[in-house]
Amino acid sequence: MAEVPAKLEKGGSWVTSRIDIGNDGIVLKDPWNTTVSYRSIVDLQKRGQMITLLVTMPDKTERTYKIASVEKVLVILTKKIIMACNAYRIMAHFMSPAIRGGVLVTDARWEKGAIAVLKTGIWFVSQEKQVSVPLKEVASLELTKRELQKKKLDVIKIDHLEGGEVVTSFILCPLSTLQVLYNFLRDATKDMDMKGSELDQLDAQTAQVAMLIYSGMDTKSIENMLSLPPEELNSIYETLLKLKLVDVVMVRKEVQLTPKGVRYITDALKPPS
Amino acid sequence: MGRILIVDDTLFMRTLLKNILSSGGHEIVGEAEDGDIGVNKYRELKPDLVTMDVVMPKMNGIEALKAIKSLDANAKVIMCTAVGQEQMVKLAIKSGARGYIVKPFQAPKVLEEIGNVLGA
Repeated sequence: MAEVPAKLEKGGSWVTSRIDIGNDGIVLKDPWNTTVSYRSIVDLQKRGQMITLLVTMPDKTERTYKIASVEKVLVILTKKIIMACNAYRIMAHFMSPAIRGGVLVTDARWEKGAIAVLKTGIWFVSQEKQVSVPLKEVASLELTKRELQKKKLDVIKIDHLEGGEVVTSFILCPLSTLQVLYNFLRDATKDMDMKGSELDQLDAQTAQVAMLIYSGMDTKSIENMLSLPPEELNSIYETLLKLKLVDVVMVRKEVQLTPKGVRYITDALKPPS
Repeated sequence: MGRILIVDDTLFMRTLLKNILSSGGHEIVGEAEDGDIGVNKYRELKPDLVTMDVVMPKMNGIEALKAIKSLDANAKVIMCTAVGQEQMVKLAIKSGARGYIVKPFQAPKVLEEIGNVLGA
């Protein structure tokens, strides 16, 4: 590929420049004027029209490069990087997203491509699709079975949070590779593992409350659905907070009228004289 | 907005679906705790849409779906099942289900799916 226009960031400033996407690396023109080999890239993050590369330098230090360009250029660059960067990578089939918010994605289909596990994310790259799953957003990881062409095949199921929605993806490859990938992913996401003792604290009602939160119910709806007094629900929230299963997003106030408030309402309701 | 019949053997899931669907402006015309009751209620209530659990003690959701489709070929039924039972999807779709929800689910996506099926 020839040189293409791009914006490059250095020291917080963006410079209109050019990049040259080669077979072994990428040449970054002004202000960097350097070549980054794909093998030195240990992480890739994409946000809108910008990608951020984390590169291991020859002296083992790390440097971050930010590149902004049009989607077509970023797609080509991302594919080159994912296929050659310093990451655990296998060729496999994937389906992502397969389920979104609990609803099956109707046009979901198996794609043949590469799965790469980078420092902060899992990338699925095929001829037509590029999907990244940030490791910190991974909610669950499971080795399970899925029916394909009338055969039950072993797959890895990954749930991750995306804009508040739970998105499920599947990976399919030969079992021996699948097991290695699963172990690798387990290790990469070990921070989400919960100790058995933590889970033991959850009683049936707490689990029900957690499920209602998952479904998008607010506090008032949960109180009504489970006939829980506010104090009891608060206590369950405290348990969930302690286990880091939930975050506080809003503190709602319960108020009552003061005498001044009562007078205001009484006056407001008087018919006009 | 639609008139909806909820078929699920657990009170918790029925209540949850009722809350989600009501919040989306739908009218819950009936509930049933098993497939056979669901089929009878469909005959009686003629709802615009049915949410149907797959695993139920007496008549499972797939059998109930087939029975409803034999009563009304245009019936709109969305199947509802737990994670790990996705292999039922093909069977359900083959039997005439219009959509598939996997538990646990999130309210906005469920309402979107219901809206899509009702609008179709």
